[in-house]
Amino acid sequence: MNIITITTFLPLIGGIVLLLYSILASRGGDQERLKGQYRVLTLLITIVTFVVSLLILVAFDYSQSGPQLVQKTPWIGALGVSYFVGVDGISLWLVLLTTFLMPVAILASWHVEKRVREYMLFMLLLETGMIGVFVSFDMFLFYLFFEITLIPMYFLIGVWGSDRRIYAAIKFFIYTMVGSLLMLVAIIAVYLYNGGTTFDIIEITNNIATGKLVIPHDVKFWLWLAFAFAFFIKVPLFPLHTWLPDAHVEAPTAASIILAGILLKMGTYGLMRFNLPFFPEISRQAAPYVMLFAVIGIVYGALVAMVQPDMKKLVAYSSVSHLGFVVMGIFAFTEQAMQGALYQMLNHGVSSGALFLCVGLLYDRRHTREINEYGGVATPMPQYSTMFTIIALSSLGLPLLNGFVGEFLILLGTFTSTVPNARAFAIVGASGVILSAVYLLWMLQRVVFGEITKKENATLKDMNPREMFSLVPLVIMAIVMGVVPMAFLRASEKSVNGIKQAVEAKILKAAK
Amino acid sequence: MQLENLNLNYWAIAPEIIASLVGVLIMLVDAFSKRGARRANAVIALIGLAAALISTVRLDWMGRGGYFGGMVVIDPIRIFFSVTILIVSIVVVLLAGQFLRDEGLPPGEFFSLIMFGTSGMLLLAAAGDLVTVFLGLEIASITTYIMAGYRRYDVRSNESSLKYFLLGSFSTAFLLYGMALTYGATKTTNIDGIRQAISAGQIDYPALLLVGAAMMLVGFGFKIASAPFHLWTPDVYEGAPTIVTGFMGTGPKVAVFAAFLRVFAGSFGVTATSIGTQLHDTWLAALMVIAMITMTIGNVIAISQKNVKRLLAYSSIAHAGYALVGFATGEVASVAFYMLTYSIMSLGAFAVIQLLARAGDRKTEIADYAGIGFEVPGLSFPLAIFLLSLAGIPPTAGFMSKFYIFKTAWSQNNYDLKFLVIVAVVNSIISVYYYLYPIVVMFFRPLVPGFVKPRVGAATALALILTVLGIFYLGILPNRLLKAMERGSLSSQSPQVQVMNKNR
Repeated sequence: MNIITITTFLPLIGGIVLLLYSILASRGGDQERLKGQYRVLTLLITIVTFVVSLLILVAFDYSQSGPQLVQKTPWIGALGVSYFVGVDGISLWLVLLTTFLMPVAILASWHVEKRVREYMLFMLLLETGMIGVFVSFDMFLFYLFFEITLIPMYFLIGVWGSDRRIYAAIKFFIYTMVGSLLMLVAIIAVYLYNGGTTFDIIEITNNIATGKLVIPHDVKFWLWLAFAFAFFIKVPLFPLHTWLPDAHVEAPTAASIILAGILLKMGTYGLMRFNLPFFPEISRQAAPYVMLFAVIGIVYGALVAMVQPDMKKLVAYSSVSHLGFVVMGIFAFTEQAMQGALYQMLNHGVSSGALFLCVGLLYDRRHTREINEYGGVATPMPQYSTMFTIIALSSLGLPLLNGFVGEFLILLGTFTSTVPNARAFAIVGASGVILSAVYLLWMLQRVVFGEITKKENATLKDMNPREMFSLVPLVIMAIVMGVVPMAFLRASEKSVNGIKQAVEAKILKAAK
Repeated sequence: MQLENLNLNYWAIAPEIIASLVGVLIMLVDAFSKRGARRANAVIALIGLAAALISTVRLDWMGRGGYFGGMVVIDPIRIFFSVTILIVSIVVVLLAGQFLRDEGLPPGEFFSLIMFGTSGMLLLAAAGDLVTVFLGLEIASITTYIMAGYRRYDVRSNESSLKYFLLGSFSTAFLLYGMALTYGATKTTNIDGIRQAISAGQIDYPALLLVGAAMMLVGFGFKIASAPFHLWTPDVYEGAPTIVTGFMGTGPKVAVFAAFLRVFAGSFGVTATSIGTQLHDTWLAALMVIAMITMTIGNVIAISQKNVKRLLAYSSIAHAGYALVGFATGEVASVAFYMLTYSIMSLGAFAVIQLLARAGDRKTEIADYAGIGFEVPGLSFPLAIFLLSLAGIPPTAGFMSKFYIFKTAWSQNNYDLKFLVIVAVVNSIISVYYYLYPIVVMFFRPLVPGFVKPRVGAATALALILTVLGIFYLGILPNRLLKAMERGSLSSQSPQVQVMNKNR
């Protein structure tokens, strides 16, 4: 059996086991005990999946740029669809990020009391979907997984969310569907231009690079736009971001962690996997405009985050700002910027996941996310406050923590980019770093430090072991990724270079 | 009728014969048993349908072409659509037992009506002559008129039946008039004969043919509930017993699509002569417009529906529109696949609603289902799956069939078709909104007080399991079926031509 396939479907199989177990055990069983068993079982499944996914890292060959550990079997031969999975330097870390964040998310949802079994089933289904998105090298398969992630997330927000959950869930679903259906048409079009025999991403990429597949110029832009629109909504790029704050605020903590940590990366990953290799010239031509929106997003997200009275909303808007950096880096077409963008995806996954977790921990204690309700939390909760501070610092890009590396590489790469006005964008974008320091430090100051203003806060309990287990790995990752970035960047170097060169070669050819 | 070549072979109409004989048998059994043998009738019906299914598959080994003087034909369209019709009937028979018991209605007539209706639909799918088309259509329609009014003490059911009957007869008149005019122009009622006449250019009054084709388009348009001939659908669907709604929303539509395809894509699709080209371009343009407004009207009006049966009625209008997109490509396979998946998911949805609505269809408002999601997961999750499939979310059959239609339409070098695909995609986005609405109500809202879990019989459970499995099977592993359709050259531009070539 292929290791990638096992990693992808392990959560789903685990979910089926959970379902069968619940059917067998639920007769006359003690409900409270059963709930505990479901939680432990799900946690075990996600941890096993993480351990199995580490084997991918062991088997990964750093010197290759193409997909590795592949499994390719015909699936729907009549349409040319194949089951083609593997990892390359771009998807490797995203797969690991997914499997790494899932146990954290399960630990963060320990206090869920409502319909525990269904909650855990949706979580596991979601994990399979997310891993599937990152390992698919077949457009059809990719689309399938891309859509499958929608349904569990929709239910997680809609059933387990807070007051305005229905509105948020529908908005999330419709926004994403609009984008993905347009992408479906684009996928069909690319498939038909390629002869209508295969959905193989690698083959199509090669055909485009070698000039075997020529898409008419007037169509190309629209196809690029259809793909980009789907991914920009997912990222989300300003001005398509309005679903994100709603979804984040209403979603339960674990769903927020997953949403910010992984689902948003599906957008930026899609840009790197489809838009750049499939439409190099268009991507290059559109780059200044995309960067413009990215920069607006960086500044706008940061400014809006600054004035939020709600911590979760603040973190949500900070995502808009940080993902703006990623998009800017992708469309700078320099190695540093693209590597930085990829690294920033991972950083954001760790940092914003941890931030949502921190907010969730406070929410569990006080049932409010208003910043004004807190103050001086450091006194009753010293351990928590330390971690929260480290995470906030990593998110705002303090050197030796992970955020710095990504943002620095992106800004450096963008500054040296040949895209028109890239320098100006880099300079304006850099202000986002300062602004993120403002809103995060200001939040820290109001929540963690200072005098205790509300007497309820004086008796807050510090983290229990379970909460420790969920937060500490993230903090460790934030530090490790800040200190030894090369360990991570080395794996993606070849693949990123591959994409960059493909784009450059096309542009040079077009210039001649 | 082609008298020179009668080609009598009773095997060629075995499915139709079996279905009607079993219908008679059920009536007899019912008459001689004391208290209406519900279970025995259901079993007989199932055996009959299974036998019909086997004999339909058996048709595949027989020579293609016309039988009984061209009155019926054996071609891939017939085989594929007949199988779909029989699947629909089998599921309906499985569901009917519980419906009849819960409502306390006489079982015998219902099962025999299903069988007669099935024989009519099979005949419609087999028709090689306009006369047979009319015959099959009338048998299928009249049985469904009666079934719609089967709950005869219920005013809504009566209203539904009467409306269906009046508008159905009205549309049949259109169809018949169209057939007569076409006969006047081509001097034959044989569908293949019409094709030959058009391709030879032997049309005395071209205007007659065009008007005839237009009339037939209207007639068929009524029967498949395409806009602007859809106005009867919501009222009829709402009033009829839910299981009957499921039946008439799928079976007859499938059968009519088969005849529609054979007449239009087959005979009126010949572009060899100027009259043929004119005819083809005219109806194709009209069909594309119909497809566009059908999709749009169905989806847009569905958004504001509060009654789940009306919602599904508008959804079925929308789906007829998607199928017409496939029709406009002339590729039979995409329509055939679409109608199969549509039938399964639509029937499944109606089956769940039948159970939730209780005897007398009392609870058909969507608001009645608030919060039941986790109370009856065995019903709410299948319903959610059917709705997501109707919305076209992978990995369900609904996605696969939509994908297949979009792919087929986009692959043709025709910008009108590409535009149609874009319209269909925009419509799919709209449809997501209203398909999610029942799911939102079921799972995200608090439970309504006084909800009693419905009892689910074994046969009903079996039908639900089969439809859910069917949805995932066609959604994830459609390869075998698609390959079979390719092999049966179902995807050829003009099925009649292929049939003729094979015969010679």
